[in-house]
Amino acid sequence: MTSLESFSLLTPELVLLGAALVAYLGGAFAGLRQGWLVAILGIAAAMAVSGGQPAGGAAVASGPVSIDGFSIFVRWAVLGIGLLLALVQSGDIFAAAVSRGPGLHRGGTCEEAGTFLVMLAGMSLVGVAGDLVLLFTGLELVSIPTYILLGLKRTDARGQEAAIKYFFLSLLASAVFLFGATTLYGIAGTTSLAGIADALQAAGGTSTAGIATVLLPIALGMTVVGTAFRLAAVPMHFYAPDVYEGTSPGNAALLSTLPKLAGVVVLGRLLALGITAEPSPAGIGPAAMAHLDLFWQLTAILAAITMTVGNIMALWQRNLRRLLACSSIAHAGYLLVGVAVAAAAAATQAASPLGDVAAAELSWTLGMGGMSAALFYLATYVLPTIGIFGAVAYLGHRWPEWTATSGPRPPREEITTVDDLDGLSGTNPVAAFAIALFTLSLAGIPPLPGFWGKFTLAASALKVDWTSPLVSGSRRAWFVSLAVILAVNAAIAAAYYLRIIAAMYFKSTKRGVQADGGLAGGLAMLACLVLVAMLTVQPRGLLAAATRAGKSLTSPVPAAVADESLAQMSDAGQERLTGKPAIP
Amino acid sequence: MVDLDPKTLLVLVPALPLAGAILTVALGRLLGPRAHWPAVLSIAAAAVAAVTLLVGLGREVASSADHDHAASPVELTPVTLWQWASIPDAYQPAAATGLDLGDDLTAKAEGLPAAIPFTIGIDLRLDPLTAVMLAVITCVGLLVAIYSIGYMHDDPGYPRFFALVAAFVFSMAMLVAASNFLLVYVFWEAVGACSYLLIGFWFRKPSASAAAKKAFLVNRVGDFGLAVAVFLLWMTYGTLNFHDTLLADGSPLPGILGMERLADPSGYVAGGVGTAICLLLLLAACGKSAQLPLHVWLPDAMEGPTPASALIHAATMVTAGVYLVARCAPLYVACPAALTVVSIVGATTALVAALIGTVQNDLKRVLAYSTISQLGYMFASLGTGTLLGFTAAIFHLVTHAFFKALLFLGAGSVMHAMGGVIDMRRFGGLRRVMPITAATFLVGSLALAGIAPFAGFFSKDEILASLHARGWPDAHTEHHDADPHEGHAGLDLPAAAAFQAVSFRSESDGSAGGADESASTFRTLYWMSLFTAFLTAFYTFRAVFMTFTGPTRVPDEAGHHAHESPPVMTWPLIVLAVAATVSGWWLFSTHALADFLAATPSLTAPAVAATATPHAFHLDLALQGTFAAVAGIVLAAAGHFGRRSDGPQPERYLGPFETLFAHRFFIDEIYTALIVRPLEFVAMLSAWFDRSVVDGLVDFVARIPWGIGAVVRRLQSGLVQRYAVAGALGTLLIVLMLAWRLRG
Repeated sequence: MTSLESFSLLTPELVLLGAALVAYLGGAFAGLRQGWLVAILGIAAAMAVSGGQPAGGAAVASGPVSIDGFSIFVRWAVLGIGLLLALVQSGDIFAAAVSRGPGLHRGGTCEEAGTFLVMLAGMSLVGVAGDLVLLFTGLELVSIPTYILLGLKRTDARGQEAAIKYFFLSLLASAVFLFGATTLYGIAGTTSLAGIADALQAAGGTSTAGIATVLLPIALGMTVVGTAFRLAAVPMHFYAPDVYEGTSPGNAALLSTLPKLAGVVVLGRLLALGITAEPSPAGIGPAAMAHLDLFWQLTAILAAITMTVGNIMALWQRNLRRLLACSSIAHAGYLLVGVAVAAAAAATQAASPLGDVAAAELSWTLGMGGMSAALFYLATYVLPTIGIFGAVAYLGHRWPEWTATSGPRPPREEITTVDDLDGLSGTNPVAAFAIALFTLSLAGIPPLPGFWGKFTLAASALKVDWTSPLVSGSRRAWFVSLAVILAVNAAIAAAYYLRIIAAMYFKSTKRGVQADGGLAGGLAMLACLVLVAMLTVQPRGLLAAATRAGKSLTSPVPAAVADESLAQMSDAGQERLTGKPAIP
Repeated sequence: MVDLDPKTLLVLVPALPLAGAILTVALGRLLGPRAHWPAVLSIAAAAVAAVTLLVGLGREVASSADHDHAASPVELTPVTLWQWASIPDAYQPAAATGLDLGDDLTAKAEGLPAAIPFTIGIDLRLDPLTAVMLAVITCVGLLVAIYSIGYMHDDPGYPRFFALVAAFVFSMAMLVAASNFLLVYVFWEAVGACSYLLIGFWFRKPSASAAAKKAFLVNRVGDFGLAVAVFLLWMTYGTLNFHDTLLADGSPLPGILGMERLADPSGYVAGGVGTAICLLLLLAACGKSAQLPLHVWLPDAMEGPTPASALIHAATMVTAGVYLVARCAPLYVACPAALTVVSIVGATTALVAALIGTVQNDLKRVLAYSTISQLGYMFASLGTGTLLGFTAAIFHLVTHAFFKALLFLGAGSVMHAMGGVIDMRRFGGLRRVMPITAATFLVGSLALAGIAPFAGFFSKDEILASLHARGWPDAHTEHHDADPHEGHAGLDLPAAAAFQAVSFRSESDGSAGGADESASTFRTLYWMSLFTAFLTAFYTFRAVFMTFTGPTRVPDEAGHHAHESPPVMTWPLIVLAVAATVSGWWLFSTHALADFLAATPSLTAPAVAATATPHAFHLDLALQGTFAAVAGIVLAAAGHFGRRSDGPQPERYLGPFETLFAHRFFIDEIYTALIVRPLEFVAMLSAWFDRSVVDGLVDFVARIPWGIGAVVRRLQSGLVQRYAVAGALGTLLIVLMLAWRLRG
């Protein structure tokens, strides 16, 4: 099946791999030292060859590759996040170069940059995969470079411990995911996602449907748990605090963003197995129905547990990176809310009377926004997160407590705890302001992007089945409770986010921050700051892109018909109807 | 500059002062004593842009006007900078939701689409009303900013002051340029915030911070009215935009003040809902424009720097209420009852404030009460609901902006020279010390008192005429075809032969029934206004005589300051004095302003336009007004001219009334006893309840997550085997649960 056409569809990924080769070979044989420059140029080149959204939203499939609006969004997200991460990562290098303390590793920038590029390529492949094998390969192409990066970055015991922990647990997760994927193959007899979807949706009574019903819990449960590791969601969340704590800010930024994107993508693809593209009079099969039902129940429960566990764990953390790790667990929970909403809305739609286009339309506008909300939320989560880690990388070290009488001056200490940020507003006002803005956004304070993200998620959850009565145990009751849990969690989260701000603005310290992390981290911080500010005043652009992407994944209605409701805000609609211009 | 697209100019008018404010904040410390440059230059550029817009729009109006005085609406297509946020399908017309909101609402909801999105756009509009407001705001703002260079020169908060002034000009420009009610609300609050910060500019002075707090809190009462009015408008009309918009499906959504609704004779809700909206808007206007019963904050606001008082609390911000009512003219015209309330509030405020003003000894407080009183005139005029009333109010707004800014800056000049002393009893005869200030102050006083040919005379005359026309509609109709020199006396002024003294037409047919009932009300209001004109002249010249005549005395605080102010302060005075002298005559004789304003879309609504009358000058009214003013001046001269200002005050003959006026009708005391004290008591109770009961509960709830966290943290042992086991067990649990769900 694989043909030249498939490769032509993968040009951006191939460019990334090519840049990785340049970095590897150049570093090994040509004495290249500017690995991260290569990485940034490679990402820029990949951006240059990436197309926009396909016209009309039609998917292009060739071999195992399937390009639709969703994968285009993912690809651009990967490249954009990659660019910011490359800046933070190169910030680490400067930090390593000036650090006197043990542990931070110095050379090897080219190898790291190459590995990072391979990882981006893998991540992008996950987005375009239309086949279980390619999907799994893509995931592994993310995981293996991550092990390398974790191991390369720090050579102290903590860093090694983090790398080993991540390695073992990631292997476990991959194995679990693979088992689930194999079971899916067992159900359908094909690895193509479209084929599996067809098998699941086959009308009732066929033998396939029977097998599917038996195997579905295993397939679904194990693939979702395998994916939960990428998201850092319950029950595979334990590694996050330990690993974040032990690694560099750049790696922590990487771990808290790219795998989450992978997780959302995989969950989206799994969910889409139950959604039919062409409604047929016979309706979708019982297996697909069961798939959707189990999917939303599972993800809703995991969402509720994950966000609560993440936030409650974060309350106790004094270590800045552990705290952010716990918060990233909580954010995985928020993301799962969107996925659950999308699945529930798909289930509603599948159960609605056939041919009722209006009902289908309504259910889209009311609930299918879940996937879009998750993608939008992901973006509003990723920017401040990278920004904070960029700021931490930029700040680098601080002076320990020392007076002239207390003996020789101890070496500088890396910024690790929240207390290390004490009084930052006085010493580094720009960084303090940026971190404050990022944490406020993560906490969901209006009108920052994080608020719009949580608002979209909660609104989409409240819209599930919103015409049906609110009866205990009904789908609507589930999602209303989920929205309430989300709101309560946002309140809990404010407690520890505000602690960071309180440390920076209301405490004073005699220990100056070094700000020796190099300009690149600061640059990433400023870039995120600008992007966050832009999203604050103008969230609609991103929201519209996320809506298109989410719709291309989950909407059975051709994109041309289901023009997003946001189009109502088009500028053309604002034109005056009457009245003449006053001054020609 | 002239070739710039008007849309660009419209955006520049608020954008430049905003940039100036940001620059001042960013570079303030760096610029030091030159910190005024960003603000002054940006406001100057904004003033140029605003005047360019005004002239351009004026040409457009002149070219489109036909000869029947039936002005056709002129406005610029609203500029949408960006859509800030939007909620699809937010509005379900009452019929669709099944809510019973009364017949009025359901009637309006018919013909609207099933669901309307709620969009918040940053829309700017330009029509004659906005253009006039923008020009006044930026021009007065510029003069005040220049004056402040001298006035504030050694203040430690120098950059802060200019940043605030620029921020205020930005907010005020946005307020009058905004094309939807939500944006109006946002900048309504923004100007309030700027005002708060400027009143409390010397925040170390307890009286200043108390005054700032008072202004803010009293304004909140009005803001509450605006907020509820905005909600009601949204529920009634399904949009908050002034202009018409297109929905996604191409169907039109008529804006509240858009052409479609204006053209529709039944476009506006009357009855309970309409009246409620209008009265709530009036409450908001009362807060911002210091009308009864929310006027109490303005006299205290004089604690701020004098230029801020001139800019915000005399010339611009306090006119926001007048602007709001004028902008919503079609809404008010649909509700005659609300209109009458506007007039009653206005005339009563004018009278009460003028009475209080007669016994004040603080020069700035005299001016503060005169501001309240003059704003009351504007409201009285707006409440007539006629085109003449609306344009007269804006006319008075413009002339008042000039002469009141002049008076305030003059008072500031006095205060500057007297070393911060502003009690008129402590100085006198200052005309010999500061001749320029004295001369310009006299010009401003003549304008305020309404003596021809100064500006206030013409605008006040129009206001009196609008009230007279409502009070005696017959006097204006019976002699419709008669010789203008008989009956109701008109006058052909030789200097303006183009004047055609034709009498007024009466009320529009729509509210003719109410006209008879309200005529007696308006008669009372007319006499009240006339008496107020007398009082105005009295207290103004009382201040003039106390300050500038009599033996020359300066307080000890003055020190070496007791001399004429520097040129940077006197030049704005001179410019404003010229404006206060010629603007009224010029605008009145050419009808430029009235014709221009009549092309405002809101004022071209049939109900408003039907009340249009030919321009006229009424000799009898002018004589009555002048007589009242001259009587006031004579009385003031009898009491104060040439006497020591710290001598016995003639006001003592007022007896118990003096106590009443001096204590401002005890309104502050009544508020304290009826509102502040009970609220303080409730607050004390709630504080106790909050501390002991709520906090205890909250602390308990807050400890729950921490408690759980302590347990969860135990699980986080750091041992990778345990993590793996937990993950595997979790997987098993999930698979089993799913299988169980599938069976069940």
